[in-house]
Amino acid sequence: MSFLISKTLIYAIPLMIVALAGVFSERSGIINLALEGIMIFGAFVGALAINLMQQANTFHIVDAALDMNANWGSLQLFLVLIMLMTAVAGALFSLLLAFAAINLKADQTIGGTALNMLSPALVCFFIRLIAQQSELRMFKGDAASWFMVKKSMLGFDKAKDLGFLGETFLNKVYLTTYICILLFVVLSIFLYKTRFGLRLRACGENPQAAASLGINVYKMRYSGVVISGALAGLGGFVYTLTTSNCVANGDVAGFGFLALAVMIFGNWKPLSIAGAALLFGLFKCVAASYSTLDINGDGVFLLLNLSKDPVWGKILNPHMYRLIPYVISLLVLAFTSKKSRAPKAEGIPYDKGMR
Amino acid sequence: MKKLIALLMVLAMVFALVACTAKPADKPAEQPGTVDPESIPDTMTSADGTYEIAFVTDVGQLKDKSFNQGTWEGCKLYAAANNKSYKYYQPANADKATDDDRYDAMKAAADGGAKVIVCAGFMQGNALARAAADFPEVNFIFIDGWAFDGLNNIAGIAYQEEQAGYLAGYAVVMEGYTKLGFCGGGGGTNPACCRYGYGFVQGANAAAAEKGITVDIKYSWQYGASFSASPELQTMAAGWYESGTEIIFACGGSMFASIVAAAGENDAKVVGVDVDQSPESGTVVTSAMKGLSVSVEWAIAKHFDGKWDEIGGKATSLGAANDAVGLPVDTWSLKNWTVADYEKLFASMKDGTLVVDPNFPEDNVFNLSNAKVEVI
Repeated sequence: MSFLISKTLIYAIPLMIVALAGVFSERSGIINLALEGIMIFGAFVGALAINLMQQANTFHIVDAALDMNANWGSLQLFLVLIMLMTAVAGALFSLLLAFAAINLKADQTIGGTALNMLSPALVCFFIRLIAQQSELRMFKGDAASWFMVKKSMLGFDKAKDLGFLGETFLNKVYLTTYICILLFVVLSIFLYKTRFGLRLRACGENPQAAASLGINVYKMRYSGVVISGALAGLGGFVYTLTTSNCVANGDVAGFGFLALAVMIFGNWKPLSIAGAALLFGLFKCVAASYSTLDINGDGVFLLLNLSKDPVWGKILNPHMYRLIPYVISLLVLAFTSKKSRAPKAEGIPYDKGMR
Repeated sequence: MKKLIALLMVLAMVFALVACTAKPADKPAEQPGTVDPESIPDTMTSADGTYEIAFVTDVGQLKDKSFNQGTWEGCKLYAAANNKSYKYYQPANADKATDDDRYDAMKAAADGGAKVIVCAGFMQGNALARAAADFPEVNFIFIDGWAFDGLNNIAGIAYQEEQAGYLAGYAVVMEGYTKLGFCGGGGGTNPACCRYGYGFVQGANAAAAEKGITVDIKYSWQYGASFSASPELQTMAAGWYESGTEIIFACGGSMFASIVAAAGENDAKVVGVDVDQSPESGTVVTSAMKGLSVSVEWAIAKHFDGKWDEIGGKATSLGAANDAVGLPVDTWSLKNWTVADYEKLFASMKDGTLVVDPNFPEDNVFNLSNAKVEVI
């Protein structure tokens, strides 16, 4: 059970944070299709930073999997630093979209698509230069050994059972997970409960009305896109750290597009988005780990047994498990899309003279 | 706006600097007399722009720290020792490369003046047959391959991976592990991975029989079709480790990254494949190796020494008898099973008293006395 929860979080967190990135941009009136591209860029910057840190041997760690006295505290601090770096990188990259969409009044869908194509190409080009191949990996070891927080690091004995909550939330977790949850909550409140948030949302609904009250629509939209870029860059790094062993290869397995789906699924509202991301993450996780899922702890792997059953196995097989997240999305969308409401002015370049 | 441009330019400069400094420094050779293949650059510029030794990669990265890299090191070592020019070619479209993409890579190699082309991976078969017919004056070395009728310029080199797998399976069970896993690449269609996997379960079974115990083996081809790492593979492996599996044989190129990350999460262990992967991670206990580098050097030498007839047009199978498979005794972290034990087992394999069945059972049905194989 705690395995299922922690793995669900691993899948859900990048989706959540990147979907929130989409919210900030779209609520300010700019469609950000470039989430995938910005994620790829953020993932690359993060992977590069870790690779260089390991090459320079900054923390004097020879082999994290074996070295129990390694300096975990400074590694975690370093992780926070990389998160900041990737956020800045994402923000800078998103300026391209902001410039095209806000200053040049270009079609936002096309601008975003262009960034999605530019980003993998650019990243692969840099990786070629740096690593002489099409994939940038960690210099040594694996992401989990280096950056995962385990109970032994928190001073607990390895054999000690911390109970359900402790095992789920203190053992085998990434610091990034908690920082992202915190960011998600703070930014959601920011969007709804502050003057800035209200103005940002107004620019996505009726920018002319907002402008008539003295709000600088250009500034607000720039802020929306830059916050969006920062979150997406961060999300890209979290994705590669927690699910891809810090490999940068110009690909984030479509998580940027999934996040877009999650955003629409969640009706552009943070709370629904969190729910949607968790639902999606849960079923992704079930599909990948069905063979060892034992919810009630009785040693029976129900889903595995069902998939081998001559009758049930025809329906409930691994392929079907992998379909479930997408089928569920379609179903939920079919039932909720009536109520779904996008920001009214999204996708329309701001024109002062228009009424 | 000016500030923004200035900022972007500064960033570009930083990137350029990073790109310059990130090149790996030349490491000194560890022992006198042996050359560290990493110290030989991957790209070289020949005086006349032609490259005599060419390497066409299999799917996956050149530096996959596994199959491609091992083969490439053989090419580089021979070239460096004999002052030959060398170059590698990666077929277009990465893991979705078609026969045409592979043929184009071989053609580019031949047009680039290659006298001998090393092609890694059984998937290059169709492209190779075409290229060998079109360029009869060029010799091809087909790693993990076979011979073609009437094409004497192809030398098929295959390995008895089942022996390497057997040694690894036997070693880990003797070491004391009882819950094993196998994650294989190629979705069950790659003959080399099938041999590795079947050898692994046979070795585990033999050791369990000797100890009088029963071992559990989870056996899966899932998420391995393209030999690449994926979040799903990592989740699956983490689930195995979580539910008791102690060690997983990561059999397929970049898949290693996902398995080793899952092992890192759970303080569990991994068996590497093709080359000694212990420098990659402390989680690697041992690796089922085939002597890629050595045999590639050996085969290239046949071409340049004028002894091509010995291997050309034939399929050569290299195994324990040629010292072409084995475990890395210097770097393994096995404690209960000694090098002497290993050498005894290896000797019986070498002289033919111990025969490992290379034929993967149909329908994934394993009939083993002391190993319970669960195919997932």
